[in-house]
Amino acid sequence: MESLLFYAFAGMAIVSALLLVNIRNTARALFLLFIVLFAMAGLYLFALADFIAITQILVYVGGVLILLIFAFMLSNKELLDDLQSTSKRFISLPNWQALVLALIFMSVMVYSYISWSEHIPQWIQQSEAKGKIILSTDNNIEVLGFKFMTQYVLPFEIISVFLMMALIGAAHLSRKEDNK
Amino acid sequence: MADLIVHIIVPVAIFAFIAGFTLFAVYAERKIAGFVQDRLGPMETGKYGLIQTLADILKLLQKEFITPSAADRILFAAAPIVIFVAVFIGFSVVPWAPDFIPANTNTGLFFIMAVVSIDAIGILMAGWGSNNKYSLLGSIRAIAQMVSYELPVGLSLIAAVMITQTLNLNDIAYLQGISSPEQIYFMGFWDVTDIGGIFAWHIFQAPHLLIVYAIFFIASLAECNRAPFDIPEAESELIGGFHTEYGGIKFAFLFLAEYAMMFLVAILGVVIFLGGWNSPLPNIGSLRLADWTTGLGWGIVWTLLKSLTIVGVQMWIRWTLPRFRADQLLTLCWKVLIPLAFVCLAISGLWRILVML
Repeated sequence: MESLLFYAFAGMAIVSALLLVNIRNTARALFLLFIVLFAMAGLYLFALADFIAITQILVYVGGVLILLIFAFMLSNKELLDDLQSTSKRFISLPNWQALVLALIFMSVMVYSYISWSEHIPQWIQQSEAKGKIILSTDNNIEVLGFKFMTQYVLPFEIISVFLMMALIGAAHLSRKEDNK
Repeated sequence: MADLIVHIIVPVAIFAFIAGFTLFAVYAERKIAGFVQDRLGPMETGKYGLIQTLADILKLLQKEFITPSAADRILFAAAPIVIFVAVFIGFSVVPWAPDFIPANTNTGLFFIMAVVSIDAIGILMAGWGSNNKYSLLGSIRAIAQMVSYELPVGLSLIAAVMITQTLNLNDIAYLQGISSPEQIYFMGFWDVTDIGGIFAWHIFQAPHLLIVYAIFFIASLAECNRAPFDIPEAESELIGGFHTEYGGIKFAFLFLAEYAMMFLVAILGVVIFLGGWNSPLPNIGSLRLADWTTGLGWGIVWTLLKSLTIVGVQMWIRWTLPRFRADQLLTLCWKVLIPLAFVCLAISGLWRILVML
């Protein structure tokens, strides 16, 4: 049952991602992105990362994606037509960089899959022996909160300062100049 | 296999409840509207017009599927499903009685916030898919409103969660009654762990949570696009906004989603601030009112009573207050509710450190 759900989510993510990059209709492509993000959130659940899964939906679906669609609806029709009339081929020459990147990423994944399926790394074996593994019934949020506020407090604070900078920058850019 | 059957029965039961609630609530809404506007409301169909909404839904179910020829067919058809499912999943983590909860997860509250934000995507799909300027304007207004009002909702929930220290809605409800695992103090000084009742509710555990609940209530009205925040569907300007082009069963689902959302925010506020399934009656000396009125059956009764009262207040407000202008709406959100919510957030932190220890 669970592996069935896993493959359903994985299939959904892959198929809608492929459709997303091929579809001509930009509006539908944006809504396909919603399906991709949703399926990815489902996959995170299988890694027992329920917090990440929900954050993915909250931040990307509830925030980023809605702003993308919003910007799309407010943008110029001619500009969109221009966007849609680019190359029709699946892999065109100017995109060879993307192909190289994808191949490199693919080879890294294949390499790690092969090397890890032969022998499990030592640190995983150690954790298993000590019983330091996450179960599906554990309260991950509490552990995450403690880790954020103790071990990872510096990166956490730096990220929040970064976000604050972005927010102030956005507010500054969108502000009207005073005509005095 | 038995597990699988339970997984099917529970959603079906919740759906049946939402459908029944919607039928009943539409009737109640029209009666309340009639009362507020000094008229009778539906009177013709059945005694006191009781089966009016039943007749309405029968009419809706029989209607033909009509898709405008210029519409984006896939988005147009998918939008009502996305909107309804987004609200429907939210019910999966709400407790009805002690440990009587479809899915008892540690991320309950966070989960509801996430799935409810999917609702906005559905509204955008409906607005764009209809290919109608009124629908598009309605959905753009809806998003501007929902995205900004998600902030006061989120902040008010964080202020409450800082007091409860858990996101599990079942545990949050436990913390407000006689079966609480921790000591409860009324306003931070009077130990009411054994007394329970109305004194143990979160809004009375810390005085600022009353303001937080008011913020949550106002912002949640905006989240479900109800008057006075109904500019996305404003009948007099936009002929219904994002659902202008919908008819028949698709419109029925949009309607179902709206009423389900009303009930969801009502029950969420009840669970977090108003004691959830805990009895409002306190133990007075040897008169153990709270002990007698806590349990599975009583829990469901209290949850329903409190939530339906809140839904009633939502309807009362809808028919009493005029609609806000868009700029007033955003001013209220960004200049009043959000700063107030931030102040309450700070008070929550101080309260937790200084008073609750």
